[in-house]
Amino acid sequence: MKIKNIIITFVSAIAILFSTSVVSIAKVVGDKIILGAAISLTGKYSSNGVHTQNGYNMAVDRINEMGGVKVGGKTYKFDIIYYDDESNPKRAAQLAERLISQDGVEFMLGPYSSGLTKAIAPVTEKYGVPMVEANGASRSLFTKGYKYLFAVLAPANLYLDVAIRTAVELNGGKGVRIAQAFEQDAFSQDVRLGILDAAKETGSKIIIDDKLPKELNDMAATLAKVKATKPDVLVVSGHTKGALTAIRQIAEMKVDVPMLAMTHCDAAKLSKQHGKNSQYALCASQWHKTLTYKDDFFKDGMTYAADFEKLFGYDPPYQSAESSAALLVFKDAFERANTFDQKKVRDALAATNMQTFYGNIKFAEGGQNVDKPMVLFQVMCDDAGKCENKVVAPLKWASAELIHPIPKWSER
Amino acid sequence: MNKNIILYGAILIFGIAAPFIFPAFKVQLSILCILIILAITWNVQGGEMGYNTFGNILFYGLGMYLCASVQVGMFFPLGEWTEGGGEKTFVHTPAQFFQGFAVGLAVAAVVPAIVAGLIGYSILGLRGHYFAICTLGLGVAAGEISGGIEIIGAGQGFTTPPFPNVDRLEARGEFFYFCSFIVLVFTFLAVKAIYSTRFKLVLNAIRDNEDKAEAMGIQTMKYKIIGWMISAFFCGLAGGIMGGLVGYIDSTDVAFDGREMGVFMVLMAILGGKGTLWGPVIGATLFHIFKEGFWTFFLGWQYVALGVLIVVIVIYFPEGIMGWLREKYPERFGEVVDEADRKAQVTLK
Repeated sequence: MKIKNIIITFVSAIAILFSTSVVSIAKVVGDKIILGAAISLTGKYSSNGVHTQNGYNMAVDRINEMGGVKVGGKTYKFDIIYYDDESNPKRAAQLAERLISQDGVEFMLGPYSSGLTKAIAPVTEKYGVPMVEANGASRSLFTKGYKYLFAVLAPANLYLDVAIRTAVELNGGKGVRIAQAFEQDAFSQDVRLGILDAAKETGSKIIIDDKLPKELNDMAATLAKVKATKPDVLVVSGHTKGALTAIRQIAEMKVDVPMLAMTHCDAAKLSKQHGKNSQYALCASQWHKTLTYKDDFFKDGMTYAADFEKLFGYDPPYQSAESSAALLVFKDAFERANTFDQKKVRDALAATNMQTFYGNIKFAEGGQNVDKPMVLFQVMCDDAGKCENKVVAPLKWASAELIHPIPKWSER
Repeated sequence: MNKNIILYGAILIFGIAAPFIFPAFKVQLSILCILIILAITWNVQGGEMGYNTFGNILFYGLGMYLCASVQVGMFFPLGEWTEGGGEKTFVHTPAQFFQGFAVGLAVAAVVPAIVAGLIGYSILGLRGHYFAICTLGLGVAAGEISGGIEIIGAGQGFTTPPFPNVDRLEARGEFFYFCSFIVLVFTFLAVKAIYSTRFKLVLNAIRDNEDKAEAMGIQTMKYKIIGWMISAFFCGLAGGIMGGLVGYIDSTDVAFDGREMGVFMVLMAILGGKGTLWGPVIGATLFHIFKEGFWTFFLGWQYVALGVLIVVIVIYFPEGIMGWLREKYPERFGEVVDEADRKAQVTLK
């Protein structure tokens, strides 16, 4: 019966372990404003998670260097507690709970991806913790009536809407034939809904509508169908892996299609990784460095890009830029609220109306940013094989003209 | 016997008091309860019956989807709830929420059990590795299929009904903790009761030598199916609660999460010692504590740390913690050891 003693010892050991680990960190310690964030450092979103984290870190350093945040006559500096959510919604919800109830965080930054934001938003909402997120674009996030969720980005259904409309315009206003393949996740499926809406409005027909698995690394079946049916537009969305897989296999299979519209080209560093093979790909982006928005901290897109590259060694994708912008929004709101009261900060956030290097930021009722249009860029290469992303739409920001239709592989 | 009552009483009191002693850890404690349930139920197959299944995640995910679907579907059109990633939101009144959840849990327990019966009838004829691989496929297939069913949200995921607005902020955490704790107690007692009957002996006979068991007139198929149905019943319950707790169901990452939950339940049972009643409980508890610790102190290296832990378990505790204790202190497990006889055996080897 002594086994029972062992179990008793064991149970009390756990009790002690738990009680010693209850350490609560208040949100504002000394001169620090501590923000919490669950970020995908491992798992399928790890590369984009790192883009997000780099964006956050760069903005934190910059704001702290330039004098920090002034609230109530005192200067505070930003600090972030990170946890790894493993690209898993279950983990993310758990971590949000932990950041708030154990670490005592009172202000949150968003995770990467719509799915994870969907998992975290109910938690922050329950505790009334204001969250400024930069990477959850799914439309359904903004129709739930969340009061404490603010997104600096445009909703996902608008991502490739412009591409379809452009294709229709180039087709003389007649509907086009669309082939599309989307990953099975909240973000990509939302992009799909946007395309369905655009197709309906323009009288376009969807001839292929495929679903791609998560962790995708093969879409040959879809491409074989595309080869056979010759659509006018091919739309692919599946985060970084989707973009890489599509370009790799389109080049391998020599698939000719007049327009190729995608997401996450810059996050996947397509032009660097696939060079000329990625040429002519049309990409939806929340931001591009050539846009002429300005602010006091990062000056403008080009300066941001140069500073970012100096720090991290690569061109910033829009995921980093929007993440940096989230901190500018927080700083602005804290200073306007002039207090750390969560409700007042929330109201200040709701009243945000500012310009950052990333774009204008103004939140609608649902929390989405309504003051910043999406841009489309096209990968363009010179003869030496050096590729660059150039904005082609909307025309106001365009730095190059759209090349359409894409030349056939046999003619390249 | 007296000591038993004291022990169980102490654990019960600890369980009831835990969310109030550690109010910040309610979610972790709830997940701990869920993990223990999964480990205990896996042990019925893997430990007692010797059928290493990776398929129990199927029942867990099924329970999760069923519970949430019933909870929504009882009061609102399910298709509209999930359409477009859940654009429309209907608000449950507290009464609707709790009624829906109760009925949902009942469905989440019964349906997976029936499914286990049907599937079991067709695949429990496989043995050893073949059975393991086959069940591995079940979970993966379920994840992919559910990711294509529009009515449960497909790739967009399924947002479970938000907890009704009540004045107490802690209510949600406490509610889900006590749900999972009660189900845990219920599971433990049920499994303990089952283990005291002939049923367990039959399962052990199947594990030790299925052909011989059959030759002795035991209808092994019947017992194997019943065993699996019992597991599925409790796995479904655990899944249903977990769905409500997480608040967002994703087909492959939350519900049919074979890569994580599916593997963890095996690992926990083995860590604690399979084929014992307390092994899975201890294994799951330790595993959860280690995991949370690694995630806090080795951020970025947590999986490496977890991997090292697994290697250590396999090398030093191949029979699990209970197995190791049993070997070390057999007399504490009520085994009579004849020292001379033991020595003689050691020399023989």
